[in-house]
Amino acid sequence: MTNGQNRRYALCFALLTAGLLLLAALNLTTGSSRLSVSEVLAALGPGQSGSAAAGVVRQIRLPRLAAAALLGGALSVSGFLLQSFFANPIAGPFVLGVSSGAKLMVALCMIFCLSRGLAISSAGMIAAAFCGALLAMGFVLLASARLRGMGMLIVCGVMVGYICSAVTEIAVAFADDANIVNLHHWSQGSFSGIGWDDLAAAALTVAAALACSLLLAKPMDACRLGEGYARSMGVNLRRYRTALILTSSVLSACVTAFAGPVSFVGIAVPQLMKRLFKSAKPLLMIPACFLGGGVFCLFCDLLARILFAPTELSISSVTAVFGAPVVIRVLLSRRRGAEE
Amino acid sequence: MSGTILETRALAVGYGGRAVVKGIDLRLEAGQILCLIGPNGAGKSTLLKTLMRRLPAVEGSIRLNGRELGAIPERELARTCAAVLTGRPAPELMRCGEIVALGRYPYTGRLGLLTAEDRAVAESCMDMTGTGALRDEDFTRLSDGQRQRVLLARALCQQPKLLLLDEPISFLDIRHKLDFLLLLRELADRQKLAVVLSLHELELAKKIPDRILCLKNGQVDREGRPDEIFTGDYIRRLFDVDERSYERVCGDAAPF
Repeated sequence: MTNGQNRRYALCFALLTAGLLLLAALNLTTGSSRLSVSEVLAALGPGQSGSAAAGVVRQIRLPRLAAAALLGGALSVSGFLLQSFFANPIAGPFVLGVSSGAKLMVALCMIFCLSRGLAISSAGMIAAAFCGALLAMGFVLLASARLRGMGMLIVCGVMVGYICSAVTEIAVAFADDANIVNLHHWSQGSFSGIGWDDLAAAALTVAAALACSLLLAKPMDACRLGEGYARSMGVNLRRYRTALILTSSVLSACVTAFAGPVSFVGIAVPQLMKRLFKSAKPLLMIPACFLGGGVFCLFCDLLARILFAPTELSISSVTAVFGAPVVIRVLLSRRRGAEE
Repeated sequence: MSGTILETRALAVGYGGRAVVKGIDLRLEAGQILCLIGPNGAGKSTLLKTLMRRLPAVEGSIRLNGRELGAIPERELARTCAAVLTGRPAPELMRCGEIVALGRYPYTGRLGLLTAEDRAVAESCMDMTGTGALRDEDFTRLSDGQRQRVLLARALCQQPKLLLLDEPISFLDIRHKLDFLLLLRELADRQKLAVVLSLHELELAKKIPDRILCLKNGQVDREGRPDEIFTGDYIRRLFDVDERSYERVCGDAAPF
């Protein structure tokens, strides 16, 4: 590693951090009530808890932007792990149906609990989403053992996603409850309405999963040359693959539990980060994807809120507009590479 | 510093408990090169995979550096034995320097961060293989000859006692084939490496290896020094080559 490369990496991280701060500031100030930076700072300061501005900033905007940054980062890392696992540049929790599987389980749990008048805890939501994510993942893994080629894997994942979404829609349609509006809103994907308690649970889970993924960076690096070389260097493949699938499922489950399914972040951000850093080294990419995912989702959430205000767009429709072209670009560049 | 690095007794190798080759008795000292030859499907790759512990031995024993192969912990095995495999890896956005440094895997800590010593070893492995100038090049942009050298440097970076290579020169043009084999000879002599490689290029197997193992029809057909192997029309019989068909393609009599 030369100094030039290290300087590039440092510059990229600085750029991402600056972007994150800038977008956070924009997210705090813009909205139905415009606040100046000084008003926001005043609202965040002590002794202001009574004012309307403080309420908006502390209870609505701040948790929402924290959720977008945290969960966007988690989703990107989850996508990066899946891309390494399948050696497939367009794998991600959404296209592989993992998000939809998690959504289905959370919806079923919510309907069940709401119909009995029970409240469901943050940890319970994450657990339900994790089970759903693992179910969908297990199905895709079974299929991937029989399939050759990255296209078929994705088609299979998309089908799993459709099945899970259809069942979710049916379940939501038949559940008669006032909270169904809420449920419907969630099943479209949104960073709004996530409270501080949920955020704390999500932050703990994501932090733990992120630590696990950093520990997986070393075997991931070895696997870039293929499994044969990885084994010859002493990677225990079975343990590595299990840990990777579990970690990535926890990350995408955590996102789905609180924000619903969010499309394309998991594919687009790792691809953008690889191009920005001009490297795909896992130890570098994991923190980069986490930061970059935060930036991407803050940007998309800002657009979702303000573009057609007061109507709010679902986050997935915005992330798809920016994420899908990245996927197309990747596919086109692969095609060109293959013809050389 | 010589000593027996690899020793097999009555070894049978194969898949799922079914032997492909039986009765392999090998003994390889430090600094020696063993070449595996034989027709396609004779079990050269199967034997190499078994020596790498990617396949369990069907029968018999393998001793690596004086220890039973099955009893060596993963990390230690990777420090003793390194490989250059068939196939062409195409890692995304990976510089040659990174690939070589990956060979430090069994020496680095949890996060795989390189120490100054690791970097120095990687440097010297690139020097030995003449790949120092390729450090910052993207691996997928290299020629096949350069790629094999980088992969060899990566294997050397594990600082092994035994180097296993599965058809390492198949993709290369004749000049790079010669260079690569001479490099292996030099490494075996200077670094006291024991080397096992499989080759299809028979005419190149006459001088470089110390020992040759011929596999055919599920067994060891012959084992010995090159001058013991390349006698009469043995090679032609080993590969079932019809002399007339050789002449019709090449214009003169078969050189083996």
